Amino acid sequence: MSYRWDFAPVLDNWQALAFGAIGTVRLFLVCLVLGLSLGLVVALMRRSRHGVLRWLAIGFIELFRNTPVLVQILWFYFALPMLVPVEISPFGAAILGISLNSAAYSAEIYRAGIQSIEPGQWEAARAIGMTGLQVLRRIVLPQALRRVLPALTNRGIEIFKMTTLASVVAYVELLQQGKLVASLNFNPLEVYTVIGALFFLLLYPLVRATYALERRLARSD
Amino acid sequence: MYRWDFSPVIANGDLLLAGLANTLALTGVALAGGIPVGLALALARLSGSRFLSAPAGVVIEVFRTTPPLVQLFWFYFGLPIVLKVEMTPYLAAALTFTIQSGAFFAEIFRAGIVSVDRGQREAARAIGMTEAQAMRRIVLPQAVKRMFPAMMERSIELMKTTTLVATVSYADLLYQANELAQKTFRPLEVFTAAALMYLVTISLVSAIAALVERRMAVSGEMAR
Repeated sequence: MSYRWDFAPVLDNWQALAFGAIGTVRLFLVCLVLGLSLGLVVALMRRSRHGVLRWLAIGFIELFRNTPVLVQILWFYFALPMLVPVEISPFGAAILGISLNSAAYSAEIYRAGIQSIEPGQWEAARAIGMTGLQVLRRIVLPQALRRVLPALTNRGIEIFKMTTLASVVAYVELLQQGKLVASLNFNPLEVYTVIGALFFLLLYPLVRATYALERRLARSD
Repeated sequence: MYRWDFSPVIANGDLLLAGLANTLALTGVALAGGIPVGLALALARLSGSRFLSAPAGVVIEVFRTTPPLVQLFWFYFGLPIVLKVEMTPYLAAALTFTIQSGAFFAEIFRAGIVSVDRGQREAARAIGMTEAQAMRRIVLPQAVKRMFPAMMERSIELMKTTTLVATVSYADLLYQANELAQKTFRPLEVFTAAALMYLVTISLVSAIAALVERRMAVSGEMAR
């Protein structure tokens, strides 16, 4: 155990890592917005009266929840360009894989939230003359979203962790830049320790906030 | 219009099946290691002693909050430098996924143990059982049953996470698919076939889990 840790080469390459961090945050934000909003659409489709929409939603959810997200990213990167005549960038493949995967997971979260609202509220709102869409927007969703907020924050944290998978298709993010720095300086131990620590420092406050949110909601319900 | 041709995939089906076998083997090893590690972490976390609960808390939080791919790289590329051991992709993956799933299992065990009414433990103590006996005979059997759905979900997540080992060249299903795609120039068919193999395997596991859950629900004492 006489290894002497030396973090100086990692610090010297802070610019490369910062550049990667920007890529990580960019990918995270796009996937967060796309994944969580598409998830709501899928959840609503899942509840639709039209059989076709409902089955499409179920198929989508099952397909994307029951296959690994890395397989999805690689499929979009290597396989999809055979079908459609477009060039797919690593960024595009990562967005497609992570967003669609997150949409499938968050659709189930939204569904649980909407189902948790008693049917009496729907009936009451319909009775005073609201349309189905109005009931959803004014009565059901505001309460449902509040209830599932901790689950959605958890999903957000998962999305942030998933962004590292984009390094497999060489998208420039934190881990990808780390690989580069480690291979140039032969110091994988320090580099991956720093990267792990960075992720922890960024995400742990969010994890704590989610715990606190869960406790507050449990009390108020 | 692209013409699908699955014949190169079928001709090399044994490669993909060997990959699937490796995926299942790795999942099995990580489960066999992760469950005891998770139980140990949960018991340490719940023990009154600060010297046990604090380190267990750190392990749980660190492995739950950092990306698994970073953990894998740390164990594969970083750890051999400190320990001066030869690291194989398989060993690195088994270690990473054992500890990582252990951290997740710990939280499931903890929730299950806490969910068993305190009074039961006190009653067991009152009739003369030691703390360990009460845990083993009274609390854990009930807790394990309640935890089953969460355990299955985590195990399925684990199977999906094992795809990451393809990045350190362990010949799991995804790695084999990647190799085959390059060899046959048929990425569309190969990756589609691999995705379908995962889909079938995982759907099968969740169907069996759902069946067992229903059986357990009939015999009573399930969560909810």
